[in-house]
Amino acid sequence: MKPLDFITGEIVGILLFFIGLYGLMTKKTIVKTIMSMSIMESGIFLFYITINFTEGAVPPIGQAQEAAFVDPVPSALMITAIVIGIGVTAIGLTMFMHYKQKHGITHWSRNRNQTGSGH
Amino acid sequence: MAQTSRIFHAVRILFAVLGAAVVLFLFLNHSEQLDTPLMDYFTDDFLGQTGAQNSVAAIYLNYRVFDTLFEALMLMVSVMEVINVSWANKHAEQYRFEKDDFNRKNNSEIVIRMVGIIYPFVLLIGLYIIINGHVSPGGGFQGGAVLATALITRYLVYPNFDLDLHVLEKLEKFLFLSIVMTPVLYVFMQLQPADTTLTNQIYLVAMNSLIGMKVFSGLSIIFYRFVFYEGR
Repeated sequence: MKPLDFITGEIVGILLFFIGLYGLMTKKTIVKTIMSMSIMESGIFLFYITINFTEGAVPPIGQAQEAAFVDPVPSALMITAIVIGIGVTAIGLTMFMHYKQKHGITHWSRNRNQTGSGH
Repeated sequence: MAQTSRIFHAVRILFAVLGAAVVLFLFLNHSEQLDTPLMDYFTDDFLGQTGAQNSVAAIYLNYRVFDTLFEALMLMVSVMEVINVSWANKHAEQYRFEKDDFNRKNNSEIVIRMVGIIYPFVLLIGLYIIINGHVSPGGGFQGGAVLATALITRYLVYPNFDLDLHVLEKLEKFLFLSIVMTPVLYVFMQLQPADTTLTNQIYLVAMNSLIGMKVFSGLSIIFYRFVFYEGR
């Protein structure tokens, strides 16, 4: 088995999910938390889209039956999930701007005056 | 203090690496072959049952239309949140757009000329993707996103806030009502004639257009709110 065979969509998706989880656990900046959530979402999208991959399958359009169809279920699920991801990111960023302007909070911290992006 | 925080940092890194290793190990070593009953059911006779040549469109407009309904609800809720839960609403006087900004932006002449040429083609390909969503790759979501891109290029050329967002918001609520009512009447209650060859096509094109317009208005509201209110 060649080393490049390990780099499939599912494995990269799992790694992206855990990179996002690491960002959620360690970073104290709220914007970085929202970015980590987006990275986790991207990992889930990639995992679902490349799942049940079969060699030489054709797109599920029309009635041509010379080859097997690609699984259309993950694509249809991810179409809705991507739009929901946009909505979640927009809600998070709006709430962050509200809290920053009203209370001056930019970090998950008890110290109000904490600034910078190194956390 | 710094010592303990460094230990906590190492523990967190270890936790993430361990979690990824466990999930990868389980994923690479499972030997169970799962059947795909959903895929077999959906790809069996989607053209005869729904009239759509695109199987993905057949799924999200007919077989699993509940997903689309609640996705539209989710997008509308997020747009309402972006408009109403905003600090800029109560402090609008600091957020007034200045007329001089247009001259001070100093936009690139190349970008303005090229976007002016590309603009009608972006609109055209967005409408094409929406209308042909049931016979070729595409659909309401993708076409709506392309149409919203046209508004973003308009912002690049002419960064002025003369758009009435309340009209767009009302339009989006009305579109959501239509998106809910059309499948409820046509798919759930089966208010359709005996020969559904023509009405299936009408239903698919109408639903794709409604979803495309809804995604377009939702994304443009979010973009313009962020550019002109939140980003100041």
